[in-house]
Amino acid sequence: MAYFLVRSILILAFLILIPPLLGEFWAYQLGLYFIYGLAALGVGLTWGQAGILPLGQGMFVAIAAYLTAHGLLAFGSSPIAYLALPAASVIVAVLAFAFAALVFRGRFEQGPSFSLMTLALTLAAFQVANGWSSVTGGFNGLRNIPGLPGLDGFLDLYYLIAILLGLSIAAVDYLVHAPIGVLWRAIADNERRLAFLGYDVAVIKAVAFAVASGLAGLAGALYAPQQNLVTPDLAGFAFSGDLVIFAAVGGRATVLGPVIGAVVVGVLSAELRDRFPWWEIGIALFFIVVVLRLPGGLMTLFAPLQRFSFARTTIRARSAAPGKPRIATSLSVAFEDVRVRVGDVTILDGLSVRTGEEAVLCVIGPNGAGKTSTLNVMTGMLPRRGGRIVIDGADVLRPEPAIVANKGVARKFQTPSVFPKLTIDENLAVALWAGRWRGFDLLRLGLFGWTSPLLEEMRGRFQFLHDGTRPASALSHGERQILELTMALITEPRMLLLDEPCAGLSHEETAAVIDAIQWARGELNLRIIIIEHDMELVRRLADRVVVLHQGRFLADGSVEEVQCNPEVRAVYVGGSR
Amino acid sequence: MEALLFTQGLNVVFEALILAMLVLGLAVVMGLLNVLNIAHGEFIMIGAYAAYIVQRAGLPYLLAIPAAALVCGVIGLVVERCLIRPLHYEPFETLLATWGLGLLLRKCVELGFGRGYRSVDIPIGGSVSLFGESYPTYRLVLMLVAVLVLASLFVWYRRAPTGARIRAMVGNPVLAEAVGIRTRELARNTFITGTALAGVAGVMVAPLTPVEPFMGLTFIVNSFFALVVGGMGTVSGLFAGATIIGGLQSVLSAAVSPTSAYIAMLLISILFLWQRPRGLFPRP
Repeated sequence: MAYFLVRSILILAFLILIPPLLGEFWAYQLGLYFIYGLAALGVGLTWGQAGILPLGQGMFVAIAAYLTAHGLLAFGSSPIAYLALPAASVIVAVLAFAFAALVFRGRFEQGPSFSLMTLALTLAAFQVANGWSSVTGGFNGLRNIPGLPGLDGFLDLYYLIAILLGLSIAAVDYLVHAPIGVLWRAIADNERRLAFLGYDVAVIKAVAFAVASGLAGLAGALYAPQQNLVTPDLAGFAFSGDLVIFAAVGGRATVLGPVIGAVVVGVLSAELRDRFPWWEIGIALFFIVVVLRLPGGLMTLFAPLQRFSFARTTIRARSAAPGKPRIATSLSVAFEDVRVRVGDVTILDGLSVRTGEEAVLCVIGPNGAGKTSTLNVMTGMLPRRGGRIVIDGADVLRPEPAIVANKGVARKFQTPSVFPKLTIDENLAVALWAGRWRGFDLLRLGLFGWTSPLLEEMRGRFQFLHDGTRPASALSHGERQILELTMALITEPRMLLLDEPCAGLSHEETAAVIDAIQWARGELNLRIIIIEHDMELVRRLADRVVVLHQGRFLADGSVEEVQCNPEVRAVYVGGSR
Repeated sequence: MEALLFTQGLNVVFEALILAMLVLGLAVVMGLLNVLNIAHGEFIMIGAYAAYIVQRAGLPYLLAIPAAALVCGVIGLVVERCLIRPLHYEPFETLLATWGLGLLLRKCVELGFGRGYRSVDIPIGGSVSLFGESYPTYRLVLMLVAVLVLASLFVWYRRAPTGARIRAMVGNPVLAEAVGIRTRELARNTFITGTALAGVAGVMVAPLTPVEPFMGLTFIVNSFFALVVGGMGTVSGLFAGATIIGGLQSVLSAAVSPTSAYIAMLLISILFLWQRPRGLFPRP
């Protein structure tokens, strides 16, 4: 925290000291680049953190600039005019949130689709701004916009811009290092995993987009009094593209990078535009080089300074995570005549099966029997063509990963699904926060210190979990399996779905995992559904075995009963069926 | 009235066919290689400048076609080697790289020719009388050429061994390599074909539009969203997208205004990107 304050104050002091050193001309020029930097700061936030590239932020700058322009024209010298700045920014952020939440809802990994939607939006906004002359002044724009009352000359306005930029940088810096920032990076890494932990991914993404657009709005609100002119060019394709270039050139993964990118590109272009007609080619080439070779942008040059950044290295006092409101009975699930088809392939062909008294249910069957698909349709990853799925006595009409997770179902995938770019501690923290955070908890740094008895138990069982600063990508396959299992368990679910939990584990690791599963089942009173091929493991864990074949229920019973069942034998040995 | 409707109908067909021609190069690159070539419009622009130079030099206009194909093909070769291949044909990364490429090509052309509008004379003047209405001959010729190019490419893709290889590579690159298809060369040639086709389309539209460094932006937007609506990697998708977007533009431009036609296209594209991101006829 101390680092964070020191850094923010240093940046602010630096910004305020510029004009006495460089003179008023530069104060005007830099003021404009800082405004661009504000908008680029937002692009860096959504793109570099949450992995969502916005190609149309210029639209939000433009909307806020027009709104502010009208505010200033209407209120003129009255101090009320100042209200136009926050109002424009907030209006734009709310618009952006509504759009993004709507578009993100119920969909994952839209990737370029969302980027292109924002591009199409800004292209449309440009046309509207050009055509709607009565409001926007048309092609020539709104002219002679008064400055902010009480601010004389460029220098006064510069200080306002510099202070707002400094505060915005500090705010974004804080967000990026707060729990919400970890969730944004988790989204960029593995969106589905986050949804399977019960997070509302659409809202978290929309918040990132709204913050970015609020910054774009602030930029637009400052642009109007700084330039005294607002034209449709702000909503143009080129300006939105420039913002992306600023972020990429400066370094999108860092907080300061996009701002530095905007200032460097701005200053260079002001200096070189007249002398070298080809300077823009240089910028384009540099952008291409960044894409090809230097994903960190200019900030790569400052990498050695990273040590001084406000850091997670401070060891946080451990505190007990709040308990999860949890019903202490295990969850039941029933499939009734469930049908799933993808294209011409029938995957589940009227599957009817339900959990009973048993704690551990093992699902077996030959490849293609529909075992994993059963879990997929239950958690909303496969659309159902017919039948009913009843979880905990209630019909689930439209299963979605987060909805099912919030009913108390945790899932561990066949191929381990963790957040590779996050550290072990961050992976565990994201799982631990799930369902426990309330209100504005995601802004509190204290959450990094949360722990729970279950987590400590797992740390005791698996030593590598203590090595919290290692990125998950550096883990072996077996360690990732265990990490994911731990993440699933510490959400304290009422039902745990395990898809071949021991695949790729060594003999010792398998034994340790089986031991941990046995322990967790007693501790949490949970129901566990395991898909497994390894009959040894089935024999050791299963209370009941269900056999699927070609998308249908074939048989169930104890391990011995199933093994003696002639139908099951025929399926496995390839007999008459 | 009927004659007017006939002309209008012909205009819709014309817009759709021309758009299909403009989309073609992008459809090849995007549908088959999954590369979002945002600089596609700039290749069209370069093709148009090639036509301008050929005409200014007093050479026959037909020469512009091989000239544009050659120039755009060579640029495409360099781009594939230096940008697309090092980025492993990743959709997102190549989108960014070609965004930069578009900027670069625009600026280079601007430096060479200035920002001003150039005009290319219509190589085949006059008009033909159809059912009592006169229609520009050049437009009819363009429609004929577009039909021929599209049809022959379609037949080639379906029949020729190369078409089968491309389909194999698209379906499963690793397996294709394992059975002896040189996917690297094949992907490169496919990319070059796409850029060369863009150049040819540029020659075709050059006489109908002002030639300037930023002309590519309009084309990329229209072509891109035509593909979004139609669906990538299928011939039906190409035609559906071109017909819907081109037809819509033509009808709304005539009935209301070009601006509202453009905005309507953008809104439809947003709806598709949101609700049906794979388009009407996606590759299975």
